[in-house]
Amino acid sequence: MAAIGLPKTAEMNGGQKLAMKYFTVAIALFGAQVLFGMLAGLQYLNPDFLFGILDFSVNRTLHVNAMVVWLLFGFIGSVYWLLEDEAGVPIVGLGLANLIFWVFTLAVVVVVLVYLLVQVGPGEQSSIWLINEGREYIEAPRWADIGIVVCVLAFFYNVAATFMKGKFTNIGGVLVMDLVALAGIYLAGMYYTPNISMDQHWWWWVIHLWVEATWEVLVGCLMAYGLIKTMGVRRKIVETWLYIEVALMFGSGILGLGHHYFWIGTPEYWFTIGGFFSALEPIPLVAMVVHAVFDAGHHKLKSTNNPALAWIIAQAFGNFFGAGVWGFMHTLPQINLYTHGTQWTASHGHLAFFGAYATMVIAFLYIALQKWRGNVYMSGELIGAWKWKWAIFLLHAGMITMVMAMLISGYEQSQIERAIGGSDWMAYFAGQSHRWFMQGMFWRQIGGWVFTAGFVLLAWDLMTIGKRETRPALTVAAETAAA
Amino acid sequence: MSETHTQALWWASESFWRKMAIWVTAGSFVVLIFLTFDTVKQITAGTKRVPAYANALNHRIDYVFDEQRNFQVPVIGVEEPLFGKILTEEEAEALVSHGKLTTQAKNCMACHTLLGNGSYYAPDLTKSWLDQTWGSSAAREQAMVDFLMHPELAAHNSLGRRMPNLGITEDEARATVAFLKWMSSIDTNGFPANFKPIDQTDAAPVAAPAAVPAPAVEPASAQP
Amino acid sequence: MLEPVKLADFFTVFFSAASVIMFGATYALLFAWSRIGNRPRLMPLAYAAYVGLFASVIVLALAANLFNNTFWSVIVLLMLAGYLLAPHAIWHLCVGTHADKHDSAPIKVFQQR
Ligand code: HEM
Ligand code: HEM
Ligand SMILES: [Fe+2]
Repeated sequence: MAAIGLPKTAEMNGGQKLAMKYFTVAIALFGAQVLFGMLAGLQYLNPDFLFGILDFSVNRTLHVNAMVVWLLFGFIGSVYWLLEDEAGVPIVGLGLANLIFWVFTLAVVVVVLVYLLVQVGPGEQSSIWLINEGREYIEAPRWADIGIVVCVLAFFYNVAATFMKGKFTNIGGVLVMDLVALAGIYLAGMYYTPNISMDQHWWWWVIHLWVEATWEVLVGCLMAYGLIKTMGVRRKIVETWLYIEVALMFGSGILGLGHHYFWIGTPEYWFTIGGFFSALEPIPLVAMVVHAVFDAGHHKLKSTNNPALAWIIAQAFGNFFGAGVWGFMHTLPQINLYTHGTQWTASHGHLAFFGAYATMVIAFLYIALQKWRGNVYMSGELIGAWKWKWAIFLLHAGMITMVMAMLISGYEQSQIERAIGGSDWMAYFAGQSHRWFMQGMFWRQIGGWVFTAGFVLLAWDLMTIGKRETRPALTVAAETAAA
Repeated sequence: MSETHTQALWWASESFWRKMAIWVTAGSFVVLIFLTFDTVKQITAGTKRVPAYANALNHRIDYVFDEQRNFQVPVIGVEEPLFGKILTEEEAEALVSHGKLTTQAKNCMACHTLLGNGSYYAPDLTKSWLDQTWGSSAAREQAMVDFLMHPELAAHNSLGRRMPNLGITEDEARATVAFLKWMSSIDTNGFPANFKPIDQTDAAPVAAPAAVPAPAVEPASAQP
Repeated sequence: MLEPVKLADFFTVFFSAASVIMFGATYALLFAWSRIGNRPRLMPLAYAAYVGLFASVIVLALAANLFNNTFWSVIVLLMLAGYLLAPHAIWHLCVGTHADKHDSAPIKVFQQR
């Protein structure tokens, strides 16, 4: 128990050591996401900036791909982190898992270099196999798709085999089923068709069924584990709520897919299905917020890990606002006809991805770091707590500024370009050169700087938190005692 | 596990919600599968909503208000072959496919939206074939090809935003135009609304637009 | 059939749609809070939030032309009923899931009377 505050890799289990590697790459990619987002944002303000060198398309592709990959790395790392602890046995196939980590990371590096240096190819199959598939979020070329599937299969093998060998907790069961779905859905994005309607139809299977179904449940599993660890909530309760969440999320989210099938050539019956199920989608999010508050009240906000708890609470609210409120505001087809594909969409996309997923991964990083530092004290009077507090504040302030700015731009755009102008080229540029729009883009950039500052502070904090602490972590009183 | 220590309220018990989770998920998924079969059938090329490639490329496409459906719908009109050449369905599909591949290889969607999906840095391309920016319907095909090959020369707007040169060859440009023409024939339930298509009534090969250096679009379009 | 929102009503639609969800959460939270802390005085506030929700749904329905069509009218009614009952259900679930212990004493305290 000596030397609290120093890295304690030796005391961690195999899965946790591996998780630290995934987390490191995740944070590096988060940094890349911020960098390329800033470059893309600057090009809105100064279109000549890097024109012909790193065009908007390149920066944007890197921005959103870095996001998808860092979140996935964060999720995978988190699962490796909790695996042995949950299953109660050493991880099965750790050697393979380590190998796969390096393969995966190398593949990501190659893909990024190709995006940066090659950028585009001729209009042939070879380009989408080797360079860029040209479909938002899943731009990765086909070879990388296949690589991803292989890596995910290996990951899945680790998870399923470990739970099988040890004990299959409810969290473990949900996690395994969810990973099957998550990986299976990815296959829907892996084929070529000249038919753009068909293309977009299956593309939404990947995007929507990921973020509004399988990712939500994955995060639910991480949250369940996190609540047990940081607040000592009774397992039975957390697991019941996990099932409640699965029922509500999948019950509303799977057919909620309909809200993307209004305008891409798909039949009119999707208006009603999409409208109905997206009206349901906020309900699980409300339930989560209420339950979080209930639990927090129950436990008087006492926790062993304050930064993690703060980010967990941020997750409940971020998910609620980004997905629930921002999603519902533009989801009815009567209004989506005008907001579809505008800065409105971007506003929602930012708040939802950040609020629901970035927050959860960051919470998990703090859970991991606590252990890595030798189970160090991270409650109330943590030394250097200002760093995590300012980081969470700046990241949120920056994000909210960006999101409100895009909302205003999008509001103007939906009117000038979509409703009045009829969405042709003239109307598009009329919308883009409107005062409100330009000011929105300016303020988005200001928010971006604040966010960047928050990110730098976060990275610094992650590297140093608990370093100067000598106190051990508080222990969570099991709930029985608390009550 | 101490499952049934006391009689938990059945509707708040873990086992009840586990079953709910499974049934609700399975039920939703089955419904989705049924709907998907039907939807895929309806969006296969060669159907009412998504026309056959040759049908679209060989005819005039328009976008007119339909009283009954209460929004604009694409209408396939008189014969008006793309680049003056009637294509068989195989030829048309190959051409559109080449165009689609070009849009993917050049990552058009990382600036533009197609069917409203993609990025927001440049105009939506759903009805780009019908856009008034191309000038006259007679000059349109060539204007589009020229633009795609040298977009960086065209200043479209007062913002200074330009499309970069993506190394699009003439073949690729023509194929892309075919793809765009075909895409404009898809029934998108009235998106985009209130779109005013280019005037196509004058089918006569209009007086040559002389030299079209870049597309026939002038900064005029910039004023909000 | 769908009747798109009129230009003049855009703001109303965004605002009322956001209000629906926000009032929904406020209602659910106040409801839970009132019960947790045994603060019956909060309950009228919870229902006041529901009244806000009710009004927002109606405003949204009018602005988005939802009453012009049976299907969408039914959705409006379902939302009114669903968002009225959901917080009760959520609350009962919170209590119920935390209750199944030999001594469900703490919960008794939370439930008023
Ligand atoms: C955490 C959950 C969610 C995330 C991460 C998320 C993210 C996104 C993103 C990134 C897009 C833009 C996709 C694109 O690039 O075209 C999008 C679109 C959309 N989202 Fe969500 N979303 C979430 C939940 C929801 C919910 C709960 C609703 C509805 C209540 C919703 C409604 C929509 C709609 C209607 C669109 C289409 C916008 C358009 O037509 O342009 N989303 N979402
Ligand atoms: C410094 C901070 C950031 C800046 C300046 C920034 C900027 C941008 C820009 C310029 C775009 C392109 C929008 C367009 O096509 O017009 C974009 C897209 C996007 N960004 Fe960010 N971003 C930042 C942070 C983030 C974060 C933290 C997330 C999520 C965790 C995120 C998620 C997204 C998503 C999902 C899209 C695609 C949206 C859509 O297609 O609707 N961004 N961002
Ligand atoms: Fe969605």
